[in-house]
Amino acid sequence: MLNRELSWLEFNSRVLEEARDATVPLLERLKFLAISSSNLDEFFMVRVGGLQQLLEEGRSAFDPDGLTTEQQLAEIRRRTERLVADQYQCLLKELDPELAVAGIQRLRIESLNPEQLAHVERIFTHDLYPLISPIAVKMLAAFPLLPGLRLNLLVRLEPDKESPQTPRFAVLHLPRTLARFIAVPDPAKYTCIPVEEMVAAFVARFFPGETVVECMPFRITRNADLSVREDQAGDLLGHMREVLDARKRSNCVRLETDERISDVALAFLRQALRITFEQIYKVPGPIDLSAFWAVVKLPGFEKFKDKAWPPQASPGVPPDATMFDVIARKDVLLFHPFQSFEPVVRFIEQAADDPDVLAIKQILYRTNENSRIVAALARAAGRGKLVTALVELKARFDEARNIEWAEALEHAGVQVIYGLKRLKVHAKVCIVVRRESTGIRRYVHFGTGNYNEVTARIYSDVGLMTCDEDLAADATAFFNAITGYSQPIQYRKIEAAPHGLRAKLIEMIESETERSKQGQKAHIIAKLNALVHRDVIEALCRASQAGVKIDLNIRGVCCLRPGVAGLSENITVISILDRFLEHSRIVYFHHGGEERVFISSADWMPRNLDRRVELLVPVEDSECRSSLISILKTCMKDTVKARRLLPDGSYERVKPARRGKPLRSQELFYRQACELAQQAQKNRYMMFEPQLPAKTTRK
Amino acid sequence: MEKKISTTAKEPAKASARTVAVIDIGATAVRMQVAEIGADGTVRPLDSLQRAVHLGKDTFTSGVIQPSTTDECVAILQSFRRTMKEYGVTQPEQIRAVATSAVREAENREAFLDRIYMTTQINVEAIEGAEENRLTYIAVHDLFQKDAKLRNKDVAIVEVGGGSTELIFVRDGRVTFSNTYRLGALRMRETLETYRAPAERSRALLGQHIQRTVDQLHWNVSLRKVPYLIAVSGDARFAASLVHPSWDKQGVVRIDCKTFSELADQLVPVSVDELVRKYHIPYQEAETIGPALLAYEHLARAFQVKHILVTGASQRDGLLKEMAVRGAWTAEFAEQAVHSATLLAEKYGVNDGHSQYVSEQCVKLFRELQSEHGLDERYELLLRIAGLLHEVGVFISDRSHHKHSMYIILNSDLFGLSRKEITLIALVARYHRRAAPRSYHTEYTSLDRDDRLVVAKLAAMLRLADCLDRKHLQDLKNITFLREKDRFIVTVNDVADLTLEQLAMRDKASMFEQVFGTKVELRTALSADEAITHG
Repeated sequence: MLNRELSWLEFNSRVLEEARDATVPLLERLKFLAISSSNLDEFFMVRVGGLQQLLEEGRSAFDPDGLTTEQQLAEIRRRTERLVADQYQCLLKELDPELAVAGIQRLRIESLNPEQLAHVERIFTHDLYPLISPIAVKMLAAFPLLPGLRLNLLVRLEPDKESPQTPRFAVLHLPRTLARFIAVPDPAKYTCIPVEEMVAAFVARFFPGETVVECMPFRITRNADLSVREDQAGDLLGHMREVLDARKRSNCVRLETDERISDVALAFLRQALRITFEQIYKVPGPIDLSAFWAVVKLPGFEKFKDKAWPPQASPGVPPDATMFDVIARKDVLLFHPFQSFEPVVRFIEQAADDPDVLAIKQILYRTNENSRIVAALARAAGRGKLVTALVELKARFDEARNIEWAEALEHAGVQVIYGLKRLKVHAKVCIVVRRESTGIRRYVHFGTGNYNEVTARIYSDVGLMTCDEDLAADATAFFNAITGYSQPIQYRKIEAAPHGLRAKLIEMIESETERSKQGQKAHIIAKLNALVHRDVIEALCRASQAGVKIDLNIRGVCCLRPGVAGLSENITVISILDRFLEHSRIVYFHHGGEERVFISSADWMPRNLDRRVELLVPVEDSECRSSLISILKTCMKDTVKARRLLPDGSYERVKPARRGKPLRSQELFYRQACELAQQAQKNRYMMFEPQLPAKTTRK
Repeated sequence: MEKKISTTAKEPAKASARTVAVIDIGATAVRMQVAEIGADGTVRPLDSLQRAVHLGKDTFTSGVIQPSTTDECVAILQSFRRTMKEYGVTQPEQIRAVATSAVREAENREAFLDRIYMTTQINVEAIEGAEENRLTYIAVHDLFQKDAKLRNKDVAIVEVGGGSTELIFVRDGRVTFSNTYRLGALRMRETLETYRAPAERSRALLGQHIQRTVDQLHWNVSLRKVPYLIAVSGDARFAASLVHPSWDKQGVVRIDCKTFSELADQLVPVSVDELVRKYHIPYQEAETIGPALLAYEHLARAFQVKHILVTGASQRDGLLKEMAVRGAWTAEFAEQAVHSATLLAEKYGVNDGHSQYVSEQCVKLFRELQSEHGLDERYELLLRIAGLLHEVGVFISDRSHHKHSMYIILNSDLFGLSRKEITLIALVARYHRRAAPRSYHTEYTSLDRDDRLVVAKLAAMLRLADCLDRKHLQDLKNITFLREKDRFIVTVNDVADLTLEQLAMRDKASMFEQVFGTKVELRTALSADEAITHG
């Protein structure tokens, strides 16, 4: 097995690779750089934080590869140093020159012309000076409590005359409301300077009568791996607030600072934060590269960005049809963001407005601000429908936002259930109960992505809309179980974690193994974000040994070591990184020719299969199923954005076969989506439909 | 013209199908099934909810349901209420809720049921064992339709519940015996805890406990060999799903007795905590599994059963089916009830021409006097059965045999009849002779006024029918009735000499005259000579 932390770092370096790929538009490269930085932040907060905590508590353990916690941390340090060096190499040597040519430049304060300097000074005086208050640090114990991941300045002042040996320090915390890059007047270009440089330039104003010897930016990262203590009775909402507070105070796991920092200043920070040299990263440029998102989002540089790929209409969903009619006719498979998320939103909005709809039940995990779905749920409740929303507060780093709209929904009359004790609900499902002339009919949407209209435009996900009786009954039973309305009841077709999903997966892998042993063709294809679970990996290796062909498309962490003779030589692992974040989970089993395809919310990690509530949903409609198989197979053929995992844990780019045409799967999917949408529209023109009077809109 | 027909802007659909909910409050769980009943009576399950409760534990240890348990039940039913609304189940006639032994036997059951009604508007009916049996029979009835092998064999339908065991024996698709025993899985568990029996002793202890019921059963049922046992309960379903992991819990699975024993051997010693951990089931459920499986096993062994059939059907299915057909079960159950009355009569040696004859005459009279008594056909059935059973007391002694008849009937289970119906039959039989109801006849006076009137009316008709076979020869075959203004004339067309009958009538007709306000006259249409020719 490969070490999961190192595999994750490999993943992040693949992200950085996109930033260094000259064929990618310039601002997209900057975006990938920013992503690689925020990814790393989260990695430190969660994974490194967890490991360091293990170490502190003296619970050092071996990873499946035999590495001790200390060894893992050392490896992480080694690999991260290289990654960070690459990040700054990329920014300073590769992107900055090209950005300058493109008309985006970041200047140092010394390079500003007098007019620009005057402008900057004005901004400092009016907008920054009143917001920043320096905190003098008289002794180490009085070091202020600084929030994680925010930028600060450490100021070293000339020592007092009485004690010339004692350096004096102050800390300036830059509030999050400040823009990171301040634009300065320039007729030709977008020119900016980083806010910390600007504050540093005028920092003496905070200390009248003193001499500032040094002013260096720094940023700390705190351990976020504080699990909510759910076993202690009480309300979860209150607990989540506590976690949010605790996260502000937890241990420092990383310090980033400018490489020019003096030894005395660094020693001071090290003692104040109680950290070791291994936790310090000195960088040659601006700290926190995720701040470059602001530059990526600048208006007017469209030619340095990806050409827009507006989501296409789903061919199965006519633009004016009610979703209920559409789904009643046939199962609908949606492939976002190539196809629009609109049908899902419309489904819930129409459910809110339809007089025959009795109830809506939905799981909300991470949703966007001003979500139309949340609004529709509130509206439905206002119209007397029974709306139940399971709001997962434990969506990491999104807790604050979740709490906010959960309370808003409650006010609207929605029955809000705040997650489950000990388990995080990660499954994505929405059920609409509708009374029709033939009786009750339930419509269900199962997704691999969250009900988030924003991420649905950048994450590649699939969703199934169906009114299949068994799936609807299962979805209902599943919802009853997770909302505590009922004890779990055996499902007809689906499987759910934490109880049955892992066993089912292994059972299906073993069934392929058995078929292969009996000389049948056997093939497994899976597309996931991560593969870590030891039991599943072992089952896959056994399958490989039995001759089962296994194609894995795993975007992120993969602990399975492929291509090892006698162990995993029939396993191919690829990872695709492209403009859309690969996010869907699709699993295929050849099953003796009766192909079985599932969509799922679960990655194959211990936390997903054993500690989260997840779903595995069979797709039985033959058309939907073949679309999914085609998605899986197309990805495996990608020769542009795919990387192959090698037995040593590193990745290499997949090259097109000699004289073969390069294939970029996301581009192909988009082209196909466009063609299908056009074809569907053409077909509608070919049909003679009587024009009906406009529907009276119901209030 | 504002609005024309459009496909989407329709009025709220008026479903021809109706949604209903049935709730079953058991010893260890409260369960609800929401279903849709199609126009053709098919039942389509929509939603099943199940929550664990401590009702059985309360009642079987302290005799009363604790306030905290009541609160728990109220909270569960309130959340069920919400689920019902999600399917448009809002009217009382769409809901049927029953409670079994744990509530039935609780000293504070009325307070409990009232509290539930007040807080949830759900009217829960505490049903008795006989009613449970009836529902179970409806639930598994389909099996007999589908499986010819079952139809022609002796079959025991067994439900080992938390507080009681329901048993139905069926032969040729007809119920031959049914009874409720106070053998409950949870009761057994409580017994174990009272004795604080060590694990290795517990099996033997439970075995002895179960054996007592089995012995009692052997007294009641002459059968020694029953090839099939149908097990109906959550514990049985749990066992079956271990043997057949792919079972969908809908249809029937077959387990041979050996496998079942092995499974019981394996599970009985497992501690409750271990069961919970291993199978992710609630504690309340885990507590009953061992004792219940042991009970099934003992029963299977006692009747040399070959195969245990576990059905996914439950009392809730029985409730649903009954709601689905809205009383179409009446004919089926009337026949089943008559059949079990016949078997009872046989057991006491009175299933003879006389009781058959009286029973037939009762039915004739009942129909003839329809406009006078104004009772529905359910009472016809009670009268018919009273006719069959009025002389069972003779088994004990001819003297005061009407009193013996009463308590034999009172203490028998007649399949398909409720306790109250059996009481009515017993009282009708009680008054088939000379004695009229008196204020010190407590069984009679504890009835409400309507029921007292029913007893009077039915008894009056039974007496008349009995008179017609005073000789116990069933020779009066051709009888016609005629109603005049103040007289009810019974004309016998095939017998000339009615002396004995008329004598009897003088004693017994007074009740009829009081109840119906008409005199009865018994006449013959024949002269003595003609009678001889006919004879």
